Amino acid sequence: MNYKLLHIFRNTPFGRETFLQSLYFCKTINAFPVAYIPKSDKFLMYFPNDAVQVDLDHSYLRSPETAKDNAQGLFNEMGIKPMFYEPKNFTASSLPDISTNFDYLCCPRSVSDLSSRIGLGHIGPKVRRIIKHATFPVLITSPVYKPWKSISVFFGGSKNALSALRAGLKISMSSGLPMSIYTLLEKKGESYFRQLIEKNGLEEPVSQFSSQWHFYKKHDFDTLLYDVPHDSLIVLGAYGHGIIKDILLGSKMEHIQSTVTNNLLITGPHCSISLR
Amino acid sequence: MLMMKNWYKNVYHKLFHLDDRLLLIIAGSVTGVFSGLASVVLRLSLESALKWLHPFQQYWWAFVFPGIGALLSSFYLEKIAREGAGHGVPEVIYSVSRYGGLLRFRSSYSRIISSLLTIGSGGSAGPEAPVVMSGSSIGSSIAKLLGLNDRQRITLVGCGTAGAIASIFNAPIAGLVFAVEVILGEWKFVNIIPIAIAAVAGTEISQAIIPEQVIFNHQMFKVGFYDILPSLCLAVVTALISVLFTKALRQTGKIAKKTPFSLWTRAIIGGCVVGIMGMFMPVVLGEGYHFIQSMISGTFAMGGFIVFLAVFAKIFATAVTLGWGGSGGIFAPCLVIGSLAGIAFHNVMSGLFPSIECASQGAYALLGMTGIISGVMQAPLTGIFLIVEITGGYETILPLIIVSSLSSTMSHYIEPASFYFKELIERGQFLRPGTDARILSDLNISEIIETDYSKVSENMVFREFIELLKNSHQHFFPVIEDNTGEYRGIIQISAIRKYALDPGMYNMIFLNQIMDTEVITASLENDLQEVLDMMDINNMDTIPVVENDWFIGMISKTRILDLYRRELIMQTSV
Repeated sequence: MNYKLLHIFRNTPFGRETFLQSLYFCKTINAFPVAYIPKSDKFLMYFPNDAVQVDLDHSYLRSPETAKDNAQGLFNEMGIKPMFYEPKNFTASSLPDISTNFDYLCCPRSVSDLSSRIGLGHIGPKVRRIIKHATFPVLITSPVYKPWKSISVFFGGSKNALSALRAGLKISMSSGLPMSIYTLLEKKGESYFRQLIEKNGLEEPVSQFSSQWHFYKKHDFDTLLYDVPHDSLIVLGAYGHGIIKDILLGSKMEHIQSTVTNNLLITGPHCSISLR
Repeated sequence: MLMMKNWYKNVYHKLFHLDDRLLLIIAGSVTGVFSGLASVVLRLSLESALKWLHPFQQYWWAFVFPGIGALLSSFYLEKIAREGAGHGVPEVIYSVSRYGGLLRFRSSYSRIISSLLTIGSGGSAGPEAPVVMSGSSIGSSIAKLLGLNDRQRITLVGCGTAGAIASIFNAPIAGLVFAVEVILGEWKFVNIIPIAIAAVAGTEISQAIIPEQVIFNHQMFKVGFYDILPSLCLAVVTALISVLFTKALRQTGKIAKKTPFSLWTRAIIGGCVVGIMGMFMPVVLGEGYHFIQSMISGTFAMGGFIVFLAVFAKIFATAVTLGWGGSGGIFAPCLVIGSLAGIAFHNVMSGLFPSIECASQGAYALLGMTGIISGVMQAPLTGIFLIVEITGGYETILPLIIVSSLSSTMSHYIEPASFYFKELIERGQFLRPGTDARILSDLNISEIIETDYSKVSENMVFREFIELLKNSHQHFFPVIEDNTGEYRGIIQISAIRKYALDPGMYNMIFLNQIMDTEVITASLENDLQEVLDMMDINNMDTIPVVENDWFIGMISKTRILDLYRRELIMQTSV
């Protein structure tokens, strides 16, 4: 196992919480956290079909003289070998290119919106774009450090949901923590979902690692959210709606993240996860 | 709803499974139209801004205009558009070299606005680089929208560039040549046709919206045999001025960054300095197209020594504008500097040899422009075609070729990297297609690693290892720690021969006693070039890759060569 998680370090109390969350995530699944301490308020991530510029809010550049020591202290506290990321390439002198060659990326709910940096707020547009183009799952942390003891996968049957299920299984395998699946029955019945899993060759790992599969009726979505244990890592696929559908019908991902305070691991449409 | 979906799928399928070239031609012409529109917008906005500010230019305090313009421009770029400020063209070349032409959408409008603020207020810069940036970004965005691959996206970036240059100068051939010679760096059949069509589309859209748009009126020049030798001398002069201009542009920016002033203060100071210069020498202000026209037509009223001074004043003004916070390109300043240099040279020559019947001042202004464009950009074809197309000076084609080729060769000799490429070369990021550096950078280290290696425990008895060896084809065995699985060292078959030939040792030694722990290892963070350097320095044919104390696999020169050839064939095939 040589999975790596990239964490954009913020040298503030809130940043400490999210970093501890990343460290805990890595420790639990035996991955290596890599901290990037930004020196400018923006950076570029080149994905296969898009260049996403991430504009950081100014709190990311606070107290640069203590940032590395503080990050190192947190690494030590969790007993993890410190690793820092230094960008090699620059699109412009103040615009570093950050590698997308990671297995996970940790994002707060928004990286460029001061108003929602502590509360749940909305998922910022940059974080959404990263999720849309990333080939890796994105970890959206809870506002405070909150170790999780189980894994909850939201499985709605879409391609992204299958990726989420694979991600959940993978985390369950590497962490040894129990996994539960939550499905909202909208148009299809239970048998459809079971067949879908079978068709995708996931029946065996699901039966091996998943302790329970909960089904809810169409209008019980909020009940589903309440039933998810507060100390569980929620793994879900990004719902691939376009912007118009999101505006008209509301974004499900937005609803989930603004309702629950759990850590979320989101798999986007380009996320490819192998169980090997 | 279902019918609509099926119809959409059908159309999408038909459109995107067209012949590759046809698809690029259609997408390229759309790109050309949009990049042409971008340059029209900038041209019209610049005209309006200059017209609006003109009545105020007579006042003594008008020198603050370029300062305010530069301040607003840098504020816009830094705080509103949040672009990492750069010149523009190197960013496009970088993206083409490294990321298959991926550019940010915001670049399609941000540089237009920032350069409008800089140039419209009187800053010494040109609108061409911003429209190149804009056109390229439009091409890249269209490619993203259509889900095209890297090669197709790069072609559309070239289409955007060509459309923008063709539109702003009304010069489709120059647009095509600039896109291929400077931006893409490769003449490929599959690129040239869509780019040519984009250049035509850009020109047409610009002519349709601004029919009266002619930057420079066509003139008739009489160039004869006696102009050959002066052309050679002028080429030397323009090469030296090009090097000076390139160095001034780079040094001024570096000096500005070393000053204790904030970005905003620097922009105001730089702009005001240009404004003060402009009060005494208006030729340094703005893009300077009308001064060029008067120089070509022989109606430029400045005296001989003043013209000579104006060459250096324009160099200084452009360097200060761009280095101290303004936004814009160097195309138009190159044309102004070149035409001033040409006239100054003509004046000196006429003074020294009054009896020689050489061509007019206007013809030398053209030659000077070609010399500077070719010298600064080290792009001789762009220099020739641009000047011929925008001035219609076909009579001067022979001396133009002489000046252009000699100037670019000489400036390349003195300063091996052009202004656009220098920064990229210094950062090791100038990667032209088909070059060694580009191929190595395009090969992903993870696809080169051979991971199919059996690992052995450090506590394994040598006899067990010999048994394992009997059924294995591996030449290297990574040794790992039993509990953690961490990498400890490597066993190379050629290095353990003496133990293998002595059966008496089989039960007496463990692998941790004979493994090599000093072997240099590579990591996934290393570039392929770094890995090759490590192998060369340490005289290795195969190197283990270890990441976070975990053995990942081995990289061999044989595997690199295989993939290198595959990549080379792919990049150089037509």
